Amino acid sequence: MTEVSLRSLVKRYGKTEALKGISLNVRHGEFVSLLGPSGCGKSTTLKCIAGFEETSDGQILFDDRDISRKLPEDRDIGMVFQSYALFPHMTVAQNLAFGLEMRRLQKREITERVGRAMEMVQLTPYAERYPKALSGGQQQRVALARALVIEPKILLLDEPLANLDAKLRDEMRGFIRDLQKRVGITTIYVTHDQGEAMTMSDRVVVMFDGEIAQAAAPEDVYDKPASERVARFVGNANILELPVRTNDEAGVELGLPGGLSLTIQRPVPAANGTLGVMARPEQIALTDPAAGHLRGRISKRYFSGGHVEYHVETDLGPLVVLAPTSQSAKEGESVGLDFDASRLWPLPGRTGSAESRA
Amino acid sequence: MRIGALFLGLFRLLVYTFLLAPLVIVVLASLNAGNFLTFPPQGLSLRWFWTFLENDVFIDAIVYSSILAAGATAVSLVIGTMAALYFVRHAKREAEIVRIGVLLPLILPEILTAIALLFFFYEIGIGTEYKIALFTGHVLMTLPFVFLNVTTSLQGRDDSIELAARTLGASRYTAFRRITLPLIAPGMATGGVFAFIISFDTFGISFILKGSGSAPLPIQLYDYLRFNFTPEAAAVSTVSIILTLVLVTLADLLFSRNSKA
Repeated sequence: MTEVSLRSLVKRYGKTEALKGISLNVRHGEFVSLLGPSGCGKSTTLKCIAGFEETSDGQILFDDRDISRKLPEDRDIGMVFQSYALFPHMTVAQNLAFGLEMRRLQKREITERVGRAMEMVQLTPYAERYPKALSGGQQQRVALARALVIEPKILLLDEPLANLDAKLRDEMRGFIRDLQKRVGITTIYVTHDQGEAMTMSDRVVVMFDGEIAQAAAPEDVYDKPASERVARFVGNANILELPVRTNDEAGVELGLPGGLSLTIQRPVPAANGTLGVMARPEQIALTDPAAGHLRGRISKRYFSGGHVEYHVETDLGPLVVLAPTSQSAKEGESVGLDFDASRLWPLPGRTGSAESRA
Repeated sequence: MRIGALFLGLFRLLVYTFLLAPLVIVVLASLNAGNFLTFPPQGLSLRWFWTFLENDVFIDAIVYSSILAAGATAVSLVIGTMAALYFVRHAKREAEIVRIGVLLPLILPEILTAIALLFFFYEIGIGTEYKIALFTGHVLMTLPFVFLNVTTSLQGRDDSIELAARTLGASRYTAFRRITLPLIAPGMATGGVFAFIISFDTFGISFILKGSGSAPLPIQLYDYLRFNFTPEAAAVSTVSIILTLVLVTLADLLFSRNSKA
């Protein structure tokens, strides 16, 4: 069990700063995802933790011990690569044994631990196979087992599901998550897929431009994004800029077209003039054109099995609404939109135009 | 369809005839019982092989060429493999320069490389002394073959496997020895065999840079053929053909079994 701390981590390549002072604490046994678009610094952060990249400034601590100057082989980490990076000239069993051989364990113990690790990932029948004779999902499990069999302090995963097809990816999400909880190992997971990050993690760290934009539980990142950019990166977001009518201890009353209003029952400091608020597509309900907070006309309708996505033209610009299939409306139809005021999230630091995009 | 297949077969036959006929003729000529290098042979005999075996000049030349080829191959393997590793893994903007630089002796006429080396070594005051020029020439000639084969075996390989080995506790050196080396070994073997054969066979470089003293086999054969025209030359050639075949077969047996990966 290990705690990982990053303290003001800076990584410079020449003049460009890839990491601009990353600070993060990962608790014992916690599963943390680094989420962000490509070039946001998530992979660089992982490489620094693994020791493949030297940090320019700041510290990396494993249980209060600074390891930022140590070589990768001395850090006691387990890593799963996007390409799996299995040794092609070794069988599954030999792949798993490699790390134990490096630790100079007795032959008998190696055999025993390799056996257990293969059971753990349900690959015992494939022990003598070479990696290229395995499917993508099986290779992935070998890579996991190889990283875990050495019982490392922390587990690092670099977009491990990116090369799998959709169905297998969903399966592996659950598999990795279960395994991680069972083993109880501190895990840092890099991905650009917000769905992956949310379903698997205890905590999601959203990164943009070499900085942490928000580090919070998946629910909080989704419902209470720290900025418009986070709101838009993590799922679909409707952002409305509304005039503030009153703002006091009890909450904020926001004006809507047609004299209607919405009240957020939570004080929002510094909300004067206008306030940007975020509503997730499933937090808006379709109603009768006469009812609801806002009127609109459906411009697009996308059926996706479990629910229907509507693009609605309103006086506040286009909005996206996700409704259950039981509630059906046609393209071109006039509808009313009902907001769940309790889940509207204010984005005080909002920048950009007043027009909302989905 | 059938006519097409027939033509293809015929074409193949012509190609192989063209490639192999000289070898067959040399081997047959070496079995000549007569006194002159003629074809068809006048009676069959192994006498010229015995003559050859008793001729110290040729035995020395074969030994000398073998040592030279082995040395050049060894040095080429080290430099060529390192160059290939650098080229595939680390070179960025300079990659093309590295590649062309290493392959230049293959692209330029051999005689140019030889003359350039001759000038260079005279300029620095060594000349053809101590066989340094000759050895350098042979390394330059054989380097491209190692480089090309190792490059091929490295390309398409996942760069992160060596990093994976590091995270598992292997030092840089151990990761190279246990992971990268086994994967490029077949490429090194093929490159090495090519290098050996090229060095054993090369004429221009050896002719210009050999200096005084013992000479490689092709030079010795050339000298011999200028004054003698006996089947002994064919016997020598036959022996070197057999040596080459043995070498290629051995390398193939050794590494085709090893290249599961």
